Amino acid sequence: MAVVACRLVHEEIDTAAVLASVADAAAGAHVLFVGTTRGVTGDVVTLGLEYEAHEPLAQALLGNLADEAVRTYALTSCAVVHRLGAVPVGSASVAVATSAPHRREAFAAAEWLMERIKCDVPIWKREEAADGSRTWVHPDGPSAAVVPEHGS
Amino acid sequence: MAATTLRVHLFAGMAEAAGARHLAIAWSGGTVGELRSAVAAACPAIVALLARSAIAIDGRYATDASAVPVTADVAVIPPVSGG
Repeated sequence: MAVVACRLVHEEIDTAAVLASVADAAAGAHVLFVGTTRGVTGDVVTLGLEYEAHEPLAQALLGNLADEAVRTYALTSCAVVHRLGAVPVGSASVAVATSAPHRREAFAAAEWLMERIKCDVPIWKREEAADGSRTWVHPDGPSAAVVPEHGS
Repeated sequence: MAATTLRVHLFAGMAEAAGARHLAIAWSGGTVGELRSAVAAACPAIVALLARSAIAIDGRYATDASAVPVTADVAVIPPVSGG
């Protein structure tokens, strides 16, 4: 039975613990993706990010996505942790860990999960620019989160 | 049906534009589409972002045809930027 764990946290993410949480004797591949606050994008300097979420909905959707990843990619285990609040440059905002019998599925599932997290899950970031101005990020176009078939 | 007050939760740039974390909308039942109109009328500052937002009812994304009961927990979900 695959193990799935998804959490929203308000403190530093222990990425080693996230990876350790998907350890499974039936797995031959363990993948850890860590998304961090980027301090420089081209010639634009970012001092830090701040995240907020619709926490109950985000928690539920992360769980649904992880369950779907386990089914689709036949994972042995899967974990997603997203940090909320201030995330300094260089610190982890999100960690996704997957384990599977073979690496192809583990990599593909981690990539798929990150794509879906960025499209569907009600979490937002606010960027603090070098001049101290702070701007919420709402990507152009309609929300991609409208009516996905997210089970229960 | 008697009108009641629906509490509509706002987040991120939408809360910033509205200057509030939630709106109180007089509501006697209707669809998500009708609720969008009521929210837009109550808070013109968020109209542009509202048009690009999803609506969640009781912890699930809803279509514009979905019913919004007077007891619903409603959240406006603008385009997300997690990760």
